[in-house]
Amino acid sequence: MKLFGRINLAGLATFCIFLLLWEGFARASPLLQLYFPPVSRILLSLCQLIFSWELVGHIVATLGRFLRGYLLATLLAVTLGIVLGYFKLAYSLSESLIEFLRPMPSVAIIPVAILFLGIGDAMMVAVTVYACAWPILINTIAGVKNIDRTLINTARTFGLGRWKALRKIVLPAASPYIVTGLRVSLAIALILVTTSEMIVGVSGLGFFILDEERSLRTDNMYAGIFLVALLGYGLNRLFLVLEKRAMAWHRRMTAGEQI
Amino acid sequence: MKWPIESKLNGILVLVAVIPVWEFISRAELVNPLFFPPMSKILQSFFLLVLSGDLPYQILLSLKRAAAGYLLAALVFIPLGVVMGLYPWVYRLLEVVIEMARPIPPPAIVPVAMLFFGLGDEMKIFVIFFSCAWPILLNTYDGVRNIDRLLIDTARTFGLSRRRMITRVVVPAASPQIMTGLRVSLAIMLILVVISEMVGSTDGIGYFILDAQRRFKVDQMYAGMLSLAIVGYALNQLFFLSYHRFLAWHKGLTGVDPA
Repeated sequence: MKLFGRINLAGLATFCIFLLLWEGFARASPLLQLYFPPVSRILLSLCQLIFSWELVGHIVATLGRFLRGYLLATLLAVTLGIVLGYFKLAYSLSESLIEFLRPMPSVAIIPVAILFLGIGDAMMVAVTVYACAWPILINTIAGVKNIDRTLINTARTFGLGRWKALRKIVLPAASPYIVTGLRVSLAIALILVTTSEMIVGVSGLGFFILDEERSLRTDNMYAGIFLVALLGYGLNRLFLVLEKRAMAWHRRMTAGEQI
Repeated sequence: MKWPIESKLNGILVLVAVIPVWEFISRAELVNPLFFPPMSKILQSFFLLVLSGDLPYQILLSLKRAAAGYLLAALVFIPLGVVMGLYPWVYRLLEVVIEMARPIPPPAIVPVAMLFFGLGDEMKIFVIFFSCAWPILLNTYDGVRNIDRLLIDTARTFGLSRRRMITRVVVPAASPQIMTGLRVSLAIMLILVVISEMVGSTDGIGYFILDAQRRFKVDQMYAGMLSLAIVGYALNQLFFLSYHRFLAWHKGLTGVDPA
């Protein structure tokens, strides 16, 4: 796949018309300008904010929380998922607890996290870990459970130890599922980081966007939203690239996806 | 008798056992009971809040907003997805705009919605509408695009009008995927109603939980979370029930459970 495989001219044209309409309406009506500053002004503030380094600190803060939360969640949930997928007793013991906690919207944990961890980074990372862990956990469990028994039995026959079987058989065989969980969690992590930044409000892009809205600097607010979207888009792209590399062996084996 | 390893009873036992363990941890002050009140106290205030009608009222408020945004999103984006799936040029026109708007993390929309709609119901409805849009739209589009050509050609041969073709062939054939989109959105809906109430509201269950934390009514905070878990669980079950009702024909047709 090339990076710019095909350029959708019609789509780009629609997008440009949309931006032009925005610009035109905003310039025409001073009242509308309060809510919809012209696109040109938003871009200008975006450049100013970036070059004045004001936004860079917020971006770094958000990204740092995102990475810590996401990676920690991956580590915990994959480990736990393998245990729960592999040992039937462990799964049946925890099944009801998981089914009870999972449907609760994860953001509801924020107040508890504030109580225990205050309003610092630790709280935001903890909330992100909690929310991200679910999709990864559920998918890892499903992945390990669905491993072909023959694979494991073969490994046993060849005398692989438990640890080696885990590393060489279980983890690779479950990895397509795990990757699915990781991709779902990517979006969730960004949601949780920005939400907790909005609620406790110290730093980060979530805080920045809400703060600019409250001080009615709407051009800055839109600039912040644009940056968060860009961050989400970039992270997603990065994930897809990494996934393609890491899972190339799997595609070769299944030939499911012919790109 | 052998221990029933895979019985669901195990999990329920663990879930029940959480209550005395929690009680003990709190009473023994292993964790600061200020943050971690005994389960008996939480359950007590839960029942008090339910009986006084306070909690049901807040939940009803939230559910009203959630339902409005969710249904609006379904009403707008299922038809749009069908049109996009049937007419590739519509998809190509909108593709860039969609790909630009989709990576915006939903909480980032909250400040914009507050700017336009204030702190009222409309703001939450808009936020939910916006964030439920993408799973519904893209799943519907995918479902329609992947309909077996044979179905459509057969319908054409029988001289079905365009309208009947859409209502009798296209939508039913795409319905498993449409339902997938609706299911994903259901979880998103619940998260976003809580977020929007936490960030900008004076009532609703999200506000209730955060406010209880801020007033240090910690038992009420946990009671609110408990009710949210119950609501989330009930919504999921309700969805599955209607899912199997609506798609019973599909299951009968293919012999596989679409879930």
